[in-house]
Amino acid sequence: MDKSEQTQQQQQQQQHVMGVAAGASQMAYSSHYPTASMVASGTPAVTAPSPTQAPAAFSSSAHQLAYQQAQHFHHQQQQHQQQQLQMFWSNQMQEIEQTIDFKNHSLPLARIKKIMKADEDVRMISAEAPVIFAKACEMFILELTLRSWIHTEENKRRTLQKNDIAAAISRNDVFDFLVDIIPRDELKEEGLGITKATIPLVGSPADMPYYYVPPQHPVVGPPGMIMGKPIGAEQATLYSTQQPRPPVAFMPWPHTQPLQQQPPQHQQTDS
Amino acid sequence: MADSDNDSGGAHNAGKGSEMSPREQDRFLPIANVSRIMKKALPANAKISKDAKETVQECVSEFISFITGEASDKCQREKRKTINGDDLLWAMTTLGFEDYVEPLKGYLQRFREMEGEKTVAARDKDAPPPTNATNSAYESPSYAAAPGGIMMHQGHVYGSAGFHQVAGGAIKGGPVYPGPGSNAGRPR
Repeated sequence: MDKSEQTQQQQQQQQHVMGVAAGASQMAYSSHYPTASMVASGTPAVTAPSPTQAPAAFSSSAHQLAYQQAQHFHHQQQQHQQQQLQMFWSNQMQEIEQTIDFKNHSLPLARIKKIMKADEDVRMISAEAPVIFAKACEMFILELTLRSWIHTEENKRRTLQKNDIAAAISRNDVFDFLVDIIPRDELKEEGLGITKATIPLVGSPADMPYYYVPPQHPVVGPPGMIMGKPIGAEQATLYSTQQPRPPVAFMPWPHTQPLQQQPPQHQQTDS
Repeated sequence: MADSDNDSGGAHNAGKGSEMSPREQDRFLPIANVSRIMKKALPANAKISKDAKETVQECVSEFISFITGEASDKCQREKRKTINGDDLLWAMTTLGFEDYVEPLKGYLQRFREMEGEKTVAARDKDAPPPTNATNSAYESPSYAAAPGGIMMHQGHVYGSAGFHQVAGGAIKGGPVYPGPGSNAGRPR
C-alpha cells in the first residue's frame, strides 16, 4: 500500500518535473556537474552514467531528459544510503561483540515486557525475550533516526522533526507497519520530498561516515537543494513555509560556486 | 505538528492486556532512553524536537508489538506457550528486519552462556531450562528458556518490585561490572 502511494507520489513529482520544461532540465544538469561550461554545452547527457538506460545524446525531449535525471538521482541516493547503512551494521556488529554485561540495558526490560503483554494472545515470555528486544529496539531506533536525519539534512535543518520521521517511514517498505502512527498530512508532505531526495545527494560526499565524532563536523549541505525549489509551486510553498530565506542563495561550498548565479534567477522567475 | 500524540495505531497497540489496563506512559519506553539512543545516530550538533522523540517512542512500541504478535502466532501454531529469543529472531526475519538477526544471534548466544553459569543457582518454574552452558550453537533449540534469575536481577537494578510473570530463584549476589561497549542507560 505504501509502495503504491510512493509510486503515485513519484509519478506526480515526475509530472511536475516534466511540466517545468527546459528550465528544470537545465537546473538538473547544473546540480549534476558544477562547471558552467558543461552545463551550457549539454555534454553531461552523453557522459552521465545511467542506471537503467543510456541517455540519448542531445535529446530535444525535456520529458525524456527529466526522466533520465530522476532515475540517475534515485540510483545515486540508493548507493549513498547503502554505504551509510553498511557502516551502520558494521558498527553494530562491533558494538554487540563487545557486550559482556547484560544487566545494564539501554532500555528497561520491565517496560518491554509490559508492552509485549499488551497483546492478550501473548501468554508467557522467556527471560531472554526482553533482553533480545532491548538490543533490537536500540538498533531499530538507530536505523529509524539515521534514515530520518537524511531528510533533515535535505531540508538544510539541524533539528530532527516529526515530518522527517514520516519521510523515513514512507520511503522504506520495512516500516510499513508504522504508517498508522503518522498523520496523513505528514505522509502527503513527504511525497514532495521524493524529488528533493533525489537531487541534493549528488553533491554529498559518497563516503560520508555514519557515526560523527565531536571534533569532526562535516557540513553536508547538498547544493542541489536549491534545484528542488523551482520544481512546482507546491514545493515552493513548502519552502516558504519551512525555510524562509532571502532570494539570493548563499552556498559556501567551493565546488558549487559555478551554481551561484543559476538559482537566484530561477527563484525570481518562480516568485 | 501539534498532533504529536496521535494514536491511530494497530491492534497490538490498543492496550488490551487481559490482566491489567496499562497506563498511558506504560505503553511506551521512557523518552529519556529513546532520546539518548537517537542522539547516537546523529551528529553532535544535531537537535531533536519533542514531537520527534514522542513519535519514535510510539514507533518502538509498535515495533515490539509487531514482532511479538508474529512470534506469538508462531508459538500458537507449534502449540508452545512461551515466547523465546529464537521466536523473536524468526519473526524479525519474516517481517523484514533480517539485518537485525545476525547481530542478535551472537548477543543471544552470549546471554545464554552467561545464564548457563546461573542455572545451578536459579530455576524458573514456568520453563525449566536446559543447561545453556553446553549449548554453543547459534541454532539452539527453540524451546530453550532461560531461568528467571536475570529477570529478578534486572528488576532489582531498575528498582522494580519484581516481575509478576516470572517466579525466579535466588538472586545471585555477583558484582555488577560494566563491560566495554555496554550502554549503561537507566530509566528515569
